[in-house]
Amino acid sequence: MDLRILEKNENSMRFVVTGISTPLANTLRRIILAEVPCMAIDDVIMIENSSVLHDEILALRLGLIPLKTDLDGYNLPEECTCNSELGCNLCRVVLTLDVEAVDETRTVYSEDLVSEDPNIVPVSSKIPIVKLAPGQKVRLEAYAKLGRGVAHAKWQPVSACAYRYVPTVEIDKDVCDNCGDCVDVCPVGVLEKTEDGVKVVNEFECTLCEDCVDACKKNPAAIKVSGNREAFVFYIESTGALPVERIITEALEIYKSKFKEFANQIAVIRNGSEKTD
Amino acid sequence: MNEGRKMQLKVLKKTSQELKFEVEGEGHTFWNLLESVLLEDDKVEFASYNVPHPLISNIIVSIRTKEGKKPEEALQEAVDKALQRGEELNEAFIRALEELNK
Ligand code: SF4
Ligand code: SF4
Ligand SMILES: [Zn+2]
Repeated sequence: MDLRILEKNENSMRFVVTGISTPLANTLRRIILAEVPCMAIDDVIMIENSSVLHDEILALRLGLIPLKTDLDGYNLPEECTCNSELGCNLCRVVLTLDVEAVDETRTVYSEDLVSEDPNIVPVSSKIPIVKLAPGQKVRLEAYAKLGRGVAHAKWQPVSACAYRYVPTVEIDKDVCDNCGDCVDVCPVGVLEKTEDGVKVVNEFECTLCEDCVDACKKNPAAIKVSGNREAFVFYIESTGALPVERIITEALEIYKSKFKEFANQIAVIRNGSEKTD
Repeated sequence: MNEGRKMQLKVLKKTSQELKFEVEGEGHTFWNLLESVLLEDDKVEFASYNVPHPLISNIIVSIRTKEGKKPEEALQEAVDKALQRGEELNEAFIRALEELNK
């Protein structure tokens, strides 16, 4: 097993991992999408809303604002000892919004949300929530909680999480007549036409779309693309809720606890007596 | 699906070479991987899971083994393998991060 990080930016990461199976890659992807928790607004108490948006729509828009998450400082509501519907200060953060357009039209932005915890704030201050006409007002209290993407997409810590096979592009020099059709059709610029034949210049970027194979007039095509089924390029993009590396380590932690928990269940099977149906 | 809930297991059939149980709390994320790891084992003749209804998280798992290995042993080995691979992946990731931060 080998893992190499190709690219890491503030909110995204691209890495290649070799020597794992497709089911393992997929399990990792599914855990990242559906089970790594992050914060999102869940309950909203409307005190006043004279904007054009209905309470429900406003609440939905608030829920979809990604919030910076502190995984270590908060509990998942279902795991918190308070057992209270609105939560306690270990499982929820209160954000308040109190905006009025006095004599000019005004857009309410995510930066207008005032959080009781300076670590749990919208990832961007410039997300528009609603536009108010003069005289209109929004006053509300929003409760942000940890949750998992499996319950609602607002709790997905990533905006993208995908993997693909590491590609190989081969050109059969003996058959290829250097017509350049494949070069023109490739959407990501993998190929380049040169005096001595078509060259593969950017193999790694190949998306395995096979457009080049279809474009080649030779039969069978002089160009061949294939994916390595044991090597994957992962691309993960965080919403900003959590650092990407934390999302991955958290996912691997969840992975471990799943199998640990099932290991305990095996004892139940072992100790059970024989049974036929 | 209620993935992530506490696991509950009920044995439906158990003989020396055949095992069938119903289990709650995990879905494709867990079982697709475990099934594939089980099938790597030569002594496992058959392994499969079935989701009777996509909105209910009870899953039926069936395993049949060849002589010389009990299904629960195969299951234990598969779980150990999966755990070990997860650990390897974790280590590889942490190593790659350190490399990057150097
Ligand atoms: S498969 Fe698609 S992306 Fe890859 S080289 Fe061919 S045309 Fe380009
Ligand atoms: S389309 Fe086929 S023959 Fe033409 S350059 Fe590409 S590989 Fe060669
Ligand atoms: Zn609580």
